[in-house]
Amino acid sequence: MESYKADVVIVGGGGAGLRAAIAVAESDPALRIALVSKVYPMRSHTVAAEGGSAGVKLPTDSLEYHFNDTVGGGDWLCEQDVVEYFVAHCNEELTQLEHWGCPWSRTPDGHVNVRAFGGMKIERTWFAADKTGFHMLHTLFQTSIKYPSIKRFDEHFCVDLVVEHGRVQGVVAIEIGSGEFTLVEGRSVVIATGGAGRVFRENTNGGVVTGDGMAVAYRHGVPLRDMEFVQYHPTCMPGTGLLFTEACRGEGGFLVNKDGYRYLQDYGLGPAEPSPRNKAMELGPRDRLSQAFWYEQQKGRTIEGQHGSVVHLDLRHLGEAKLRERLPQIYELAEQFLGVDPARAPIPVRPAVHYTMGGILVDGRCASPLPGLYAAGECSSVGIHGANRLGSNSLSELCVFGKVAGEEAARFAKASAPGNSASLLKQAQAVEQRVSGLKTKTGGNERIATLRKEMAQTMEDGCGIYRLADTMQKTCDKLDELKERFKNVNVEDKSSVWNTEWLLAIELEYQLDVAQSMAYSALNRRESRGAHQRLDGFEKRDDENFLKHSQAHYVAGGAPRIDYGDVKITKSQPGTRAYGAAGEKAEQERKAANV
Amino acid sequence: MSKRRPYVRPMAGWWRKNPFFVEYMIHEGTALFVAAYALILLTGLVYLAHGEAAWNVWLEGLKNPWYIAFHWLALAAMCYHTYTWFKIMPRTMPPVIVGGKRLPDFAITGSGLAVAVTASLAMFGLVWGMAR
Amino acid sequence: MSENQRIIEIEVLRYHPEKDKAPYQQVFQVPFTDDMSVLQGVQYIKDYLDGSLSFRWSCRMAICGSCGMMINGEPSLSCETFLRDYYPARVRVEALAHFPIERDLVINMEGFIEKLESIQPYIIPKEPRTLAQGEYLQTPAQLGAYEQFSSCINCMLCYAACPQFGLNSEFVGPAAMALLHRYNVDSRDGGKAERMELVNSEEGVFNCTAVGYCSEVCPKHVDPANAVNQNKTNSAADYFMRFLTPKGGAK
Ligand SMILES: Cc1cc2nc3c(=O)[nH]c(=O)nc-3n(C[C@H](O)[C@H](O)[C@H](O)COP(=O)(O)OP(=O)(O)OC[C@H]3O[C@@H](n4cnc5c(N)ncnc54)[C@H](O)[C@@H]3O)c2cc1C
Ligand code: SF4
Ligand code: FES
Repeated sequence: MESYKADVVIVGGGGAGLRAAIAVAESDPALRIALVSKVYPMRSHTVAAEGGSAGVKLPTDSLEYHFNDTVGGGDWLCEQDVVEYFVAHCNEELTQLEHWGCPWSRTPDGHVNVRAFGGMKIERTWFAADKTGFHMLHTLFQTSIKYPSIKRFDEHFCVDLVVEHGRVQGVVAIEIGSGEFTLVEGRSVVIATGGAGRVFRENTNGGVVTGDGMAVAYRHGVPLRDMEFVQYHPTCMPGTGLLFTEACRGEGGFLVNKDGYRYLQDYGLGPAEPSPRNKAMELGPRDRLSQAFWYEQQKGRTIEGQHGSVVHLDLRHLGEAKLRERLPQIYELAEQFLGVDPARAPIPVRPAVHYTMGGILVDGRCASPLPGLYAAGECSSVGIHGANRLGSNSLSELCVFGKVAGEEAARFAKASAPGNSASLLKQAQAVEQRVSGLKTKTGGNERIATLRKEMAQTMEDGCGIYRLADTMQKTCDKLDELKERFKNVNVEDKSSVWNTEWLLAIELEYQLDVAQSMAYSALNRRESRGAHQRLDGFEKRDDENFLKHSQAHYVAGGAPRIDYGDVKITKSQPGTRAYGAAGEKAEQERKAANV
Repeated sequence: MSKRRPYVRPMAGWWRKNPFFVEYMIHEGTALFVAAYALILLTGLVYLAHGEAAWNVWLEGLKNPWYIAFHWLALAAMCYHTYTWFKIMPRTMPPVIVGGKRLPDFAITGSGLAVAVTASLAMFGLVWGMAR
Repeated sequence: MSENQRIIEIEVLRYHPEKDKAPYQQVFQVPFTDDMSVLQGVQYIKDYLDGSLSFRWSCRMAICGSCGMMINGEPSLSCETFLRDYYPARVRVEALAHFPIERDLVINMEGFIEKLESIQPYIIPKEPRTLAQGEYLQTPAQLGAYEQFSSCINCMLCYAACPQFGLNSEFVGPAAMALLHRYNVDSRDGGKAERMELVNSEEGVFNCTAVGYCSEVCPKHVDPANAVNQNKTNSAADYFMRFLTPKGGAK
């Protein structure tokens, strides 16, 4: 087996991984960095982010406001000290990207422009037309080329960590092109492998978003935190789940039901005004909007389409010129995929799974409980999203915490002695044995695609927008069954070069673990909060018992063990989450009480 | 040992594989006519330098029906070449900004063609006038 | 849904380096609906007909640049090309032209990545600025000067459309040149002189014979041919500047 000695290994070439790699390179050019990614970095799913990235910019805005929006939006399940750090560093990081060349959209006088986004009180979302993630990712990737100490392992699929003497000392990866294994040694490891949305059926995520890093850390005893919180995005393409960014509504789009009625006003988000008001109506938070869709569907006020019920995203009143300038990609998506000209007809949309709020448990400095292991980006749970992420906070998170993770991993690497290569290699060979077994074994009769489909369907059934104990229980049972059946999985392809069927099997095994952590965490949370909404007697938030982070611990061959950790509260005591006119009233009352 | 063995496909006959390439090859082909015509004019010049008698011999030669047919062919080729040349012109120059807006491709192609036609007609008129 | 489900034939160019001497065609019968892309068609093949078929994909929304293939001989993103547009005829799918085939629809793109790396694709600041000083000012017009060239998703369709690259794989080629140009015309950048060396070099712009098909197939309207050809002019100017000024032009 080939092996490579690095100082810091970063798994994941998305926004978070690239930012971490650059941070290591800048903190000490002598450190050798290995950047391992199963796809070329610019294919990472950060590329798909459309709307924008939050950072306080306008003089009318303040860090306080951004803090309040984030913590309230997360239904108070946020680590408030971490949120304070986060909001204080967004602007700086986005400016850094500007210096690196990111083509932010501008105001006429040349300053970076900001737009409105759901759940945000003031316009603070930096954007690059409607391809923000694309531009951020390419800027980071291209900038990373500047640093000779970053050695990329592109199209290398990470299958495990190597842990010795209680600390992580590297990773084992498959070179996809040859099918051969490589040991990448490192004195610290950053996981930045992104979310896990593809465990659900209809989702906005790319094929690579399979929760690999979460599963790898989880199997090494690192808890996955708050996994029951999975965000549904309210405006996605029926069938494929492709996203129509929230910026559609930020720019003034309406959501209407089959009667052409802006139904959100019936769900505490009104009053309906002709142009968007922040934190009201179409600019309410995603969980509320997706829930309103569900109720409309129950009331029979949605429109029946080929792929189930839809409502209409109406952009016609914005006019073709503005749509082409501000939302060019959305325009093309609607035209090409749906045959709809958004300047002339409304776009059919429905909610789909979009974002994994939970992830690898890390502290405010991105360190996991396993020494030497750090995590950043969507795979991590650093504590800023709580029970519901606000749109445009996660791209900023990639930069702010990608940098933190890189710096901390660099510090850790410098302070630790190099590992014992011979014994690490031995471990890696054992990993190779195990993982190769998946494709060399014969006699299996379960199709990968069938298992994957059944998993995605049961997750949608049990852990959807609204949840019930018995369906969640069914999902848990189904996942247990699928894990059993996975032992019988059949990988037809026994070859080495570009054996993607084998990789799909490995991913499926990761996904089943992650799905289990979600379903069991959900079943155990007997309250409703943020994206976790129940209809079986636990419709209310229960701060007394559940103002707590859930933590799923891996149990080999069994169901995960769920326990709870405290939530750090610094300055915002849990209050009512209200939006629209009710939200403004609640805020005034809060202010009055404070003086 | 790696089992990779990348396969390189042959390029032979590449220009027949796509209508766009065929058009490109015709465009390139018509350039031969442009070159050939330049040569003809050059020969004329050489004859002229040898005095009036030589010049008249050359002119007489041009009246050969084969030569006339060739002229028609060359004219057609030249027109096609001009057209395709201006068609790719927008791809070869910096964007032209007029009144804060970028000039669309067809406007550039169109004005190029218009200038070419006008110039040719003016030339034609001039020579016609001198000949009479 | 089932009533409008029909069967389309997808012909795929297969190649397995461990088994095959050369690529060959294989035809699959794929049930499809009107909203299915060619990518979804080959995914169906992989899931239910032949698990060994290999191809790259990720975003499904024409932004990650993974899924380029020759579809009926034209370089296309398979995720935004729809089966309905070919039915009832057979659709022919092949790995991107002009690149070595690793396996099936997967091409070797290492050379392309090296080209991207060679053009110094990052801001070389004209005037250094600290973060405390805030952003560089850049008007919408200055942004407009390079925005189009920054929209490249690295899908390499333009390389599959460029016969000159097919004939000489050393040629820097359309997308890398577009990216080079993108940085050269960015108002924040001062690295043009360094990059011109590559433009003028043997692998540089003069390999281009203005076929123009690259811009035709580009799914993101980058117009890479424009970047290449503008740089022919720049290169020529650079060449003459060397005679005119003692320090002019690239070194
Ligand atoms: C359609 C869409 C639109 C969005 N829009 C917005 C928005 O407007 N604003 C906002 O703030 N957020 C948005 N988000 C969320 C945000 O884009 C993501 O949370 C974020 O990009 C995740 O970045 P990441 O770096 O954590 O992971 P990713 O970009 O997903 O990168 C993961 C990396 O890990 C690598 N990897 C994974 N597994 C392995 C393995 N086993 N071995 C090796 N490498 C591996 C992959 O190759 C990849 O490089 C959007 C998300 C989606 C899906
Ligand atoms: S220039 Fe266009 S065709 Fe070429 S790689 Fe970029 S996006 Fe693809
Ligand atoms: S799958 Fe991403 S571009 Fe087609």
